[in-house]
This record gives sequence, structure tokens and C-alpha cells, in this order.
Amino acid sequence: MSGLRPAALFRVEGALTPRPAVLAAAWMAANAQRLEERAARLGAVALGAPLAFGLGDPTTGQRLAWAALRGTSEDRLRVLGQDYAESWLFGDLRPAGVDLLEQARRDGCLLVLISDHPDVIAEPLKRHLKADLLVANRLELRNGAATGRLVDPVVARFGGQALRDLAHAHQLDLGRSRAYAAAGADQVLLSAIGLPCAVHPDRALRRVCKDLDWPVVEG
Amino acid sequence: MRTEEALAGKHLVITGFTGFVAKVLVAMLLERAPDIGRITLLIRPRGRIRPALVRAEKIVDTSPVFRTLRARHGARLADFLAGRLDALDSDVEKPRCGLDDEGLDRLAGADAVIHCAGLTDFAPDPLKALTANVAGATHAAQLAEELGCPLVHVSTCYVAGARGRAVIEEALAVGVSPNGQRLDAAAEVRALQLACRGVEAAGDRIRIGMERAEALGWPNIYTYTKGLAEHLLARRPGLDLTIVRPSIVECAREFPFAGWNEGLNTAGPLAWLISTAFRRLPTVPAHRFDVIPVDDVAKGLAAITAAAIRGFGGGVFQLASSDHNPLTFDRAVELTGLGMRRWTRKGGGRTVDRALFRFLDPVPVPAEAPGPLAVDRLRGWAKDLRALLREEPVPEPLEKLVGDRLASLRARLADQLGEADETLERVERMLALYRPFIHDNDWEFRTGRARALTAHEGAFRFDLSDLDWCDYWVDVEYPGLRTWCIPILDGVEIPSDPPSSPPFRLQRTEWAHRVASK
Repeated sequence: MSGLRPAALFRVEGALTPRPAVLAAAWMAANAQRLEERAARLGAVALGAPLAFGLGDPTTGQRLAWAALRGTSEDRLRVLGQDYAESWLFGDLRPAGVDLLEQARRDGCLLVLISDHPDVIAEPLKRHLKADLLVANRLELRNGAATGRLVDPVVARFGGQALRDLAHAHQLDLGRSRAYAAAGADQVLLSAIGLPCAVHPDRALRRVCKDLDWPVVEG
Repeated sequence: MRTEEALAGKHLVITGFTGFVAKVLVAMLLERAPDIGRITLLIRPRGRIRPALVRAEKIVDTSPVFRTLRARHGARLADFLAGRLDALDSDVEKPRCGLDDEGLDRLAGADAVIHCAGLTDFAPDPLKALTANVAGATHAAQLAEELGCPLVHVSTCYVAGARGRAVIEEALAVGVSPNGQRLDAAAEVRALQLACRGVEAAGDRIRIGMERAEALGWPNIYTYTKGLAEHLLARRPGLDLTIVRPSIVECAREFPFAGWNEGLNTAGPLAWLISTAFRRLPTVPAHRFDVIPVDDVAKGLAAITAAAIRGFGGGVFQLASSDHNPLTFDRAVELTGLGMRRWTRKGGGRTVDRALFRFLDPVPVPAEAPGPLAVDRLRGWAKDLRALLREEPVPEPLEKLVGDRLASLRARLADQLGEADETLERVERMLALYRPFIHDNDWEFRTGRARALTAHEGAFRFDLSDLDWCDYWVDVEYPGLRTWCIPILDGVEIPSDPPSSPPFRLQRTEWAHRVASK
């Protein structure tokens, strides 16, 4: 026995929810404390949106989108994060993704969520889904407020060294693990895992799935 | 020795059981120190039909504070309380708390008197405040002296008045008011009584009391009379005195259950204020808003009483948060808005709250520059518009066109503006009353003595370092205020728990029977 255990890695955006993280940034910007702040913050999110939606470097897109929350208090991030998760994510989970997660749980896999959303939103989702581990973005805080920066490493394209570090830290057997994702940008993650699977994939990932004969789940 | 061990077999006499803090204290003692000898409640009877015992029974039977105790003991609650809890007809506003010799005999051997009774309104009739807060404390002291036991007097941190930033746990300087003027407390009481007695209108008496309080450096009549009481108690050399000063007592964080509150406390009206269309609270953002959950007060009070009984009390203990886990006003204002968002999202509030107000977060604004939506400006606009609607004639062609409908619409609008003006006037008065607490002063109440004394405690440890203000304010304090306090401001009565059937009765001792039948 190697002592390594299989995991099921779920890319939250796409595999579990159709909502990209940039929508959460926009929602939080639109709920800034002062009315006059809201338009300015929304404008800033809009600047990063095209990149975050895949028209360029997604890491830069994430950084730009969340920079709009600079100066937002930690209290506000926590409360709005929880409220966003409960209002917009919990009720909008992909049934196919949730079924796969439950199946993985029954199979004894360690459940790992990988999310572009910051931890203030992803953590309530992790609790809701009773997952074991969470890899999510984190907003840097100073003196009780967000600096507007995401703490490195930014979760946008997850894979490579970050995945190896995760496997090492939690004794994961990647060869026996499974991964579920939906975007072309996630093929790095899927290709590093023994049992890759696409859930409701975008066009780029669908093409890869066809070429590499990866299973595709719709719904 | 822990509090629950120190209180085993001890007899405590407690005033103010019908109030907020004492109820929680008694329930907590009965739950967490079940080996306590006896708690005797001194309660003012309501006429002949509701003696102290009946009032105590009703509270134990129907107050939410005792829910957990009732649930734990069920039908055997009376057995559990037999010998542990009784109540005496008394009146702290009378000498010896209104107890006759028989009543005093009942208290012989008491180990401590905890004086919680008081009038906590900021601007009450000064004559009533003097009777409840000053005479009440003096009579409780008299009782403790006669019984030969320590007096634990519950005061308030704000007796410090508007002096300096850090307030340490020490007695007030005898003969000196908070702003440094010479003060003879007994003469001050007499002078205030004289000044108020000839004045018929309560409003004028309140104005006199407020002016006098401010002249001596106290923010209001409540702190003024509590301060005078401390000054007078300090002049009793034979009294074994321990003063406990809580800051602003708010919703319980865990005991009897999260969110429990009773009556109108400081944060209730403020939360109500910034949950209405009024969204701009004049305050200094970095100033501290010293709030403490009521169960933390009860924990500290119980532990300090146990120490006083063992001879380790004496002096002043402050129960506050500002020195070791401060909450600033900008944070409290933002958390109140966030609390409202969450509460309305879960279905609370009116349609207008859910559809509109939840998205308009309150903001702190400087009192000197409150902006275009300042209360006085809004009132001015409301008055001008009302006058316009009432007095300006409608152009003849328009009147011919729409006839009476326009007149009735104008009258309706004018009435609504009148109501809005009344609400704004209430807001204005409230802001003036709260200004010393939310704007003018930045108090830091030191609690080192209280925390050191209770550091080894378990169930009675006083320390707010672990209190997460965000979780507490959004998920406990705000919903608690909406449930237990704010409805009172809207004129709604807070329902009690349904009485048990058959009616709950504390076990009547032979003596209690005699008193009840008198």
C-alpha cells in the first residue's frame, strides 16, 4: 500500500456552477457601501471582464476584476461572500456536477474544489457541498480591508506545480484520481489526472475531449 | 476556586429581577452553578394581586430567558427551584428596601446583595431617576450593611462622564464631578429634587436634569444619577462595596440563546434609525462603540460576586470591550447595514425593506457636514412642501380639469408629509440624545481587573477577545434587535412564551404563604 489516496477534483466554475467568478466580483461591486462607489467599482470590474471570460490571459482578468474591490472591508467581503454563495450559487449548481461529486464521495475519494472565486465565496460553497479541500483565490487584506490584490498563486489555470504541491501536501494519488472541468483553460489540470472528465464543456475543451477520448458529461 | 464552586451553598439577594441583566444572571446562576444555596429576589409587588412571588413565577414560566432551564427540568422545574429560588415583596425605593423585620429575618445569613435595579432610560424624569438610581443604591447598601454582607452594585462605565479617553477601574474621585468641578453628592441630590419638585411639566424637569448633568460633565440623566449613587456609596465606610460597571449591554451571544434581548437598549434605537430611510449617522468613524453582550455581563457579575464573598472583591470592575476587542463606529454602522441585508434576504422586514432599504447601506457622516440629507434639512423641505400643498392655490384651468381629486390628493400628501416630519423630529431628538455616545466622546474602558479575576474561570470567564464582531453583529445582534427590541419602537408588544399548564408555581414555604396571604 502506498498510503496515497484518490481524489476527485472539481473545477467549480463550469463543472459545478455556470457562473464565472467575475459575476461575483460585479455583484459585490454593485453592493458597495456607498452608492457613489458602486458605479466606479462596476466599471473597474467591466475592464477585467473580457480577460476573465477567456479573451486573453485569465489570470490577469481575475486580478483586474477583483482589484475593483480595493478598500472593501473584510466584514463586507465575508457577509456579501456568504450571501452571494447562498443566493446565487447554491441554487444554481449543475445537477450533473453534484451527482458526480456525490458519486466520488461514495467511492471514497477526497473531494477537492478548485475555484476562481475568492475564499469568502468558495468557503461557504465548500461547506454546503461538504467537500474536504478547497483551493480558491484569496483577496489580500490589510488593516481590515481588501488591498485589491489577489494573493499568489492566483487560481485561474490550475495545474502543473500547484497541482503537484497539492498532491504532495495531501498524499493524493493523481493516477487514481479524477478531475472534472468545463473550460479549455482547464486541460492542463485534466491531462495531469488519471481519470479526466469534462462537464458541460466549452467548445475548446469539447474538441480536446474528442481528440483525447475523454468522457463528456452534459447537464 | 471557580465561581460555581465558590457559590455552592451561598445565599444571594438580587434586586432588579424584572430587568434585563438580572434575569440573565439568575437564569445563568441556576444553570451553571446549580449547587448555589439560595437566590432571593427582591421584587416590588404590583398591588395585592401580584406579589413578588407571583411576578417571579410568571417570569420563570414565560420569559424566554428561562427556556433552557424549563426545557431541561420540564415538569420537575418547581422541584429543582425549591429552596433555590424565592422572592420577597420589597421596594428598593424605600429604606431597607421596604423590608420589615420578618423580611429581614428571611435574609439573615445572606452572603451578598447584588443590586441590579435601576432606571436605564437616558433622559427620564430626574425625580424618578433619583429615586430609582440614587435612593435605590443607598437602600441596597443599607440592606447589605444590616445583613453584614458585601454589596455588589451594578453601575455603568459611563459614570466616568466626558473625561479623557482611557477610563481605568477605579472609584470616582469623591467630591469631584467628571469635568473637575467640586461636587457634594448629597447636596446635589437635594438641589436637583428642589429644582424639579416645583416644575409641573415632565419635559421641563428633564431639561433641568439634562442641563445639570451636562454642567457637571455627565452625558445624560442616567449616567448623572448613577454617578451620584457611586459618590454616595463611597461615603459609607462600613460598607463592603464592589462596583461592577458594564458598558452598553446588548443581545446575548449564547445564553440563554443567541440574540436574546429585552426592552430598549442603546443599539436598538440606533439600528432602527439606520434601518429606515434615514441612512446617514452623524458619528466619528474611528470612535469606539463599547458594546457587551448581556451574557458576558452576567458571567462577569457572577464571578465578581463570588470573589466579593470570598473577600477578593472590592473596588471597581468594568465589563466592557473597548480595551481588548474594540468595535469602531464605522464598523458598527456598516455591520448594521450588512445585518439588515442578511435579515431581509431571509424574509425579514416589510416589502419596502426587502426591495429598497436593504440596498441602501447606512454610512457614517461627520456631524459638522451631514450632507444634503441632514435631518434638519429634510424637515425644512417637508415643512415647505407641506405649506405649499396646503396654502398655494391651484391654477384655475387645472382645478377645472381635475376638480376635487387634486384637492384630496394634496390633502393626503400634506398629511403624509406631516407624519414624515414627526418621524424626523423623533430622529432628531434621538440623535441629540445619543450624540455623546456616538460622536462626542471616544471612551476606552479598561477591564484588566475583571479579566484577570476571571482568567481561571470556565463557564464564568469574562473576556471578549474571542468575540467576532462581524458574526455577532450580523447574525446575532441585528436579528436579536429586530426580534426583541425594534418592534417595541413600532408600538408592538413582544410576546412572552405561553404559560405552562397547570400554572407553574414556585414552591411556597410556610413563610411565603404567610406573606402571600397578608
